[in-house]
Amino acid sequence: MSPRKELLLSAAVVVLFGFAPWLSPLAHVELSTMSELLVTAIAVMSVNLLLGYTGLPAFGNAAYFGLGLYGAALSLKYLPHVDFVLALLMGMAAALIGGLILAPFLLRRRGIYFGLLSIAFGQVFYFIAYRYTDVTGGEDGMQIARPYAGLPSAHVVVTDFGFYYVALALFVAALVAFRTIVRSPFGRTLVAIRQNEPRVRYLGLNTDRFIFVALLISATMAGLSGALFGLLINFAAPLQLDWHQSGYFVLSMILGGAGTVWGSLVGAFIYVIGKDVISTITAAWQIYLGAFFVACVLGFPRGVLGTLQALGRRSPQTFADDNVNAAFDPNAPVEVGRGV
Amino acid sequence: MIEHLGPQLFNGLVLGAFYAIVALGLSLIMNLTGTINMAHGSFMTLAGYLAYSMVLRHVPFGWALVIAPLFAVLVGVIVERTLVRPLYKREPFYSLLMTFGLSLIAEEVFRLVWGPNGVPFSPPASLAGAASLGFMQFPTFRIFIVGVLVIAIAALALFLTRTRFGLRLRAAVQDSEMIAALGTNTQLLYAVNFSLGIFLAGIAGVLAAGMLGLSPTSGNALLMPAFVTVIIGGMGSLFGSIVGGLLVGIAISMTTLFIPAASEVAMYVLMAIVLLVRPRGLFGEEGIFG
Repeated sequence: MSPRKELLLSAAVVVLFGFAPWLSPLAHVELSTMSELLVTAIAVMSVNLLLGYTGLPAFGNAAYFGLGLYGAALSLKYLPHVDFVLALLMGMAAALIGGLILAPFLLRRRGIYFGLLSIAFGQVFYFIAYRYTDVTGGEDGMQIARPYAGLPSAHVVVTDFGFYYVALALFVAALVAFRTIVRSPFGRTLVAIRQNEPRVRYLGLNTDRFIFVALLISATMAGLSGALFGLLINFAAPLQLDWHQSGYFVLSMILGGAGTVWGSLVGAFIYVIGKDVISTITAAWQIYLGAFFVACVLGFPRGVLGTLQALGRRSPQTFADDNVNAAFDPNAPVEVGRGV
Repeated sequence: MIEHLGPQLFNGLVLGAFYAIVALGLSLIMNLTGTINMAHGSFMTLAGYLAYSMVLRHVPFGWALVIAPLFAVLVGVIVERTLVRPLYKREPFYSLLMTFGLSLIAEEVFRLVWGPNGVPFSPPASLAGAASLGFMQFPTFRIFIVGVLVIAIAALALFLTRTRFGLRLRAAVQDSEMIAALGTNTQLLYAVNFSLGIFLAGIAGVLAAGMLGLSPTSGNALLMPAFVTVIIGGMGSLFGSIVGGLLVGIAISMTTLFIPAASEVAMYVLMAIVLLVRPRGLFGEEGIFG
């Protein structure tokens, strides 16, 4: 796709989302669900950077998401004069600090071991939020009063309507930043690490340092998403830090297309809207969600955009980041056993 | 507080034996096929509920302890052959995600069949009392648990080291392609290996149901300590899983005694310390799993 066509298509998608407050009632979807979709897409992006591009099974991003959530919630509760923007920044800072603490441990391993470490270390924050009832409200969670936007007189962001546009603006900003990162030499190096880390190292690059920076970017993005989520639902609970949440993010990433720029939005769209629709139909929605997991992993491993890319590859016109999905080709032989 | 030290240490060992046996099952499956089985806890809960239903219908506890895990194995083999097997040749996180989906389904099914709340499942009367070992009292059921778990672990060790099949299993962990080229049916190995892991989980599930309670999520509660156990013991090492499990069990029971608020976080602190000193875990082999 030419840059011009890509820009036009992107603009069309953003404009379409700009009309969502009028379009979503037609499909019986609440505006808050649309906000949740955009917020979730940012978290899925953070997983995509680590797993889709760098090839690290990021099954612990719910921890950063939760740190963002509690960072915003606690600063609103315990610090004076915290406005909307500051709450978001506090959330991102909390997640960044969490990333800085965990990175030295996570960096030591790759492959599924990295995934296992991410799950295990991520769970620490769950128990902290769960246990320290005096500060965090424990299992019951804590209410968050949605703050003013900067000035006490500006009530813009307080409404759901206003919040949606804040979420949309931040999503677009995150997407532009994400695209810039993955198309930069830095992002290309991350893809190279996924495809063959030893070779990158033989070329003289310190892969640990690249992964470290990717981890911090990912953590901060997840933190932004978590803080926004807290301000959206005005509530923080330990369940949002649980590893289940990480699994949902990873599934959304697979659904949309691992290693694609827009895959995060597509995946979040399918996951959030799908969950919304199923949960209105049946109380046992978890069965359908689980079955959906199984079916997608078995039958649709490339996701929507990955499949489209694979189709596009047969024609002479191809996406700019054509080979990004090569390492995720489900038909490529992967050695069983040690070959991780 | 000191007088609680002995019993609490014993409790830690019982808990540790649970973690060890769950971690052993996880390790078996992970070592051979690179699959992180997130549904492991669900198989434990399944065996627990099956045993519960059997005991309700007056099946002796001893029989339920064998039959329920076998049923879990039956389900496990079907799952392995139909759902996990196609994922062996893919990136390992696909199977992690798939088994995660399975655990979501299982949890909801348990809720529909056996109700959303925990069910009372107490050990039989013959195991309900307490035995005195001279210096202190121990609940008989916990001694029984330790006995069964030790036998199960010993049987597994004998199977892996003393039989031809066990030898092939260990060889396949090293190089499954070579083993296949030498004429071993590796698909059979994978299926049996998976079943072994599920059987261990099943036994642990039935015993844990009697000691720690039984609810749709009770098995998953043991899953995270088992992960930590695998990491502490070192991936690729079965002996490491045993040592790691006991360490985690003791760490939890000791912090419960002295600093109750930190009991859940204790094992993660232990894990962080181990990783700082030995990044591959206590008995992990260098080179396996990056």
